[in-house]
Amino acid sequence: MILYILYVYINIILPISLADSFYCFDLLALLTMSAQRVDAKVVMLGKEYVGKTSLVERFAHNRFFFGPYQNTIGAAFVARQIQMGDKVLTLGIWDTAGSERYEAMSRIYYRGAKGAIVCYDLTDRSSFLRVKFWVEELQKCEEHCKIYLCGTKSDLIETDRTMRQMDYHDVQDYAEEIKAELFETSSKTGKNVDELFQKVAEDIYNSTTFQLMTEEKGVDLGQTNNSYFYSCCHN
Amino acid sequence: MRSLCVVMYSISAFKNFKNTVFPPVTYSGPVSREMSQKSERRGIHVDQSELLCKKGCGYYGNTSWQGLCSKCWREEYQRARQKQIQEDWALAEKLQREEEAAYASSQGAQSHPQPSLAPFSKFEEKKTNEKTRKVTTVKKFFSPSSRTAPKKENHEGKTPSPSISRQASAETDRVSRDFVDFLKNLQKPGRDIHKQCRAFTESMANKRDLSADELSECVQDFYQNMSDRLMTHFKGSTDRVERVMDQVEKYIMTRLYKNVFCPETTDDEKKDLATQNRIRALHWVTIQMLCVPVDEEIPEVSDNVVKAITDIIEMDSRRVPRDKLACITRCSKHIFNAIRITKTEPASADDFLPTLIYIVLKANPPRLQSNIQYITRFCNPSRLMTGEDGYYFTNLCCAVAFIEKLDAQSLNLSPEDFERYMSGQASPHKQEPGPRTPAGPDGSPALSTAHQNLELLNGLGVRQERVLEAARNLESDLISWREAVEREVQEILAKYPLEIRPPPSAIDSDNVENDRLPPPLQPQVFAG
Repeated sequence: MILYILYVYINIILPISLADSFYCFDLLALLTMSAQRVDAKVVMLGKEYVGKTSLVERFAHNRFFFGPYQNTIGAAFVARQIQMGDKVLTLGIWDTAGSERYEAMSRIYYRGAKGAIVCYDLTDRSSFLRVKFWVEELQKCEEHCKIYLCGTKSDLIETDRTMRQMDYHDVQDYAEEIKAELFETSSKTGKNVDELFQKVAEDIYNSTTFQLMTEEKGVDLGQTNNSYFYSCCHN
Repeated sequence: MRSLCVVMYSISAFKNFKNTVFPPVTYSGPVSREMSQKSERRGIHVDQSELLCKKGCGYYGNTSWQGLCSKCWREEYQRARQKQIQEDWALAEKLQREEEAAYASSQGAQSHPQPSLAPFSKFEEKKTNEKTRKVTTVKKFFSPSSRTAPKKENHEGKTPSPSISRQASAETDRVSRDFVDFLKNLQKPGRDIHKQCRAFTESMANKRDLSADELSECVQDFYQNMSDRLMTHFKGSTDRVERVMDQVEKYIMTRLYKNVFCPETTDDEKKDLATQNRIRALHWVTIQMLCVPVDEEIPEVSDNVVKAITDIIEMDSRRVPRDKLACITRCSKHIFNAIRITKTEPASADDFLPTLIYIVLKANPPRLQSNIQYITRFCNPSRLMTGEDGYYFTNLCCAVAFIEKLDAQSLNLSPEDFERYMSGQASPHKQEPGPRTPAGPDGSPALSTAHQNLELLNGLGVRQERVLEAARNLESDLISWREAVEREVQEILAKYPLEIRPPPSAIDSDNVENDRLPPPLQPQVFAG
C-alpha cells in the first residue's frame, strides 16, 4: 500500500509539478529588458497627492518634445529625450513616494540627481511645509543638485482665486533665498510644464559635468579618476 | 508506466483475494493480457512490452528513465555523463588554445615577457582558490558553485579533471567564448580589449586581501579607463561604447564573482542573515497595512505577483551585476502590471514602492544585502545611477531600508499591536475572513502545492483503505452468506426428510367394493 502511493507520487504527481515550475522559468527567460541610455537624473519630490505623477505624465505625453514617447507601464520612471541645439539630452525622471512613512528613505532616491523638482499644491498650505524639509535635505546631502520649486494645480486658482493658499511672491522670496527657480504649473492645461522641464534640461546641458561627459577629448592615461561618474557609487 | 502497472496489479489482487501477493515479474500471462483488454475498453492502451525495460532485461522500465529500468539507466547515464565530461574537457582545451592564440598575437608585437599559461591553469587556479577559502562560514552552504567542489576534490585525488567545479567553469567558458566571438567583430581593438580584460582579471586574483571597497575601486577604475579609451576609439558614439562595456562587465564579473561576491572581509553575510530573520519575523504584515494597491483575488494579478516574487528570488542566481539588475527590472515590471490591472490606471511611485516592499517581504530573497552590495560595488555606474534599471534598484534599496526601520507607526498600528504581532502572540490573519490557507508561515507557492499534493495523497490513501475495507467486507459477506444458505438448506433438509413412497401399482387393484356397483351400461337396440 505505501509503496503504491509512493509510486503514484513519484511517477505522476512529481513530474507534473516540476514541469509546471520549469515552464514558468522558460516564460520568464523570454522577457527582455530595456536598456535606454540616460544622461541625467531628475527626481520629483513632494507630498502625496500634490500631482507629481500627473506632472510627469503631462511631460511624457507632450508633443512639444523631441523623440518618440517611450512606452512605460507606469509613470514612476520616464526617460525622455530633449533636443538641445545639435545634441540630444535624455532626462530620466524619477518619481518618488511622497508618503511620510518613506521620508527616511528619500535620501536614497536623490543621490546623484542633477535636478530636483520639489512640488507643492498651490491650494494646500501644508504641502509647502514639506517642501522646506526636502530643500534642507537636498542642500545638506546633494549640493550639486539644482532645485526647482513647482506649485501645482494652477488651473484651480484661475477658476477661483480664493483657493490660493500660497502667495506667489512669498514663495518667490523663498526661492531666491535658496537659489531655486519657481514655476507655477497646471498639469491639466499643460501651462508652464514645458517651460519647467525645458529649464531643467537647459541647466543640466549648461552645467560643467555634462559638457565634460560629452566632450571628445584624448585620453590622459595618467589621470586619476574622480569624475562624478562613480563618486556616487561609493557612499 | 510502472505506477499504472502497479495499479492494475492491485486491482487484480482484489479480484482474487486469496492471492494478495504480487505476481512475480516474469508472470506476464493472462493477468496483464486481461488487463490490457480491459484498459482498451476505457481508451487507454498499455501494452505489456511498453512497460518493460527497453534493454530487454526483463525488469520493468520507467518513463522518467527513458523507458529503462533503474539498473540499465544507471549504466546508460554514467556513459552519457562520461561523454559530457570529455566534451567539456575538449571545449576547455579549445578555449584555452584560442585565448592563448589571441593573447600571443597581441603580445607578439610588444614582445612582452609574459610566461605562457599552462593549459588548465584555470582549473588549477580554481582549485587553489577552493583550498585557501575557509569552509567554516555559513555562506559555504548557500554558495551554489563552490558547494560540491571541495568534496569532489577529495574523491578524485591528484588527477585534475574538468568535472571539478564543472558547473561554474562551464558558465565561465561559455561567457569567455561569447566574449571572444563578440570581440572578433571589432578586429584589432577587440584583441586589445581582450588582453586588457584578461590581464585585469589575473591581477585581481592576486588582490584577494584587499577590502571590498578597494576591490570595488579597482573594478570601477578599470571600467572608467576602458570606457574612456573606447570613447576615443568610437569617436564618442556612446551606444557602441555601452555595448562593448556591457560585454566587458559580463566577462570580468563572471570570472571575479566567486572572489568578490560577499567577501569575507565584510559583514555582508551577517547583514544577510539579519535581514532574512527580520523579514521572517514580519511574516504577518498584510497588504492592508502597507496600503498596497493590489488585489490578489484577481487571478491575473496574483499571477503577476507570483512572477515578481520569482524574479526577485532569481536575482541571487545571476553572476553579472547587470543580469541581477535585469531581474529587479523584470520584477518591477510585473509589479507595475499587477497595479495597472487592479487600478486600471498607470502606477505612480506612491503605488509602486509599497508593492515592492510587500513583494520583498513575501519573497524573502536569499542574500539580499550581499546582492545589493555587489551590484553597488561592481556594476557599471552609468547604468546604475540614472537609467531605468537604476530607478528600480534604488527602489529596492529603499524597500530594504524601510523593512529594516519598520515600526508600528509605519504600518499605522498601535505600538502594542505591533509588539504582539512581532512576538507572535497574535496574528492579524485570524480576524480576517480572507481565504488564506494556513499552508505555511511564508505561504510560498511551491510549498502550498506540495501541501496540496500531500493532502491529495492522504485523501487517496484513505479512499484506497476504504475500498479495501469494503472489499474485505464483501468477501466475508459472501462467505457468510454462502454458509448461511448452506446451513438453511441443511436445516430444511433435516426438518423435512425426503421420503419416497412406492407408486400405486394399478388404479383399481385395491378397490374392494367393486361388486356392489351396478353393472356397466350396455348398449341396447330398440326396435321401433
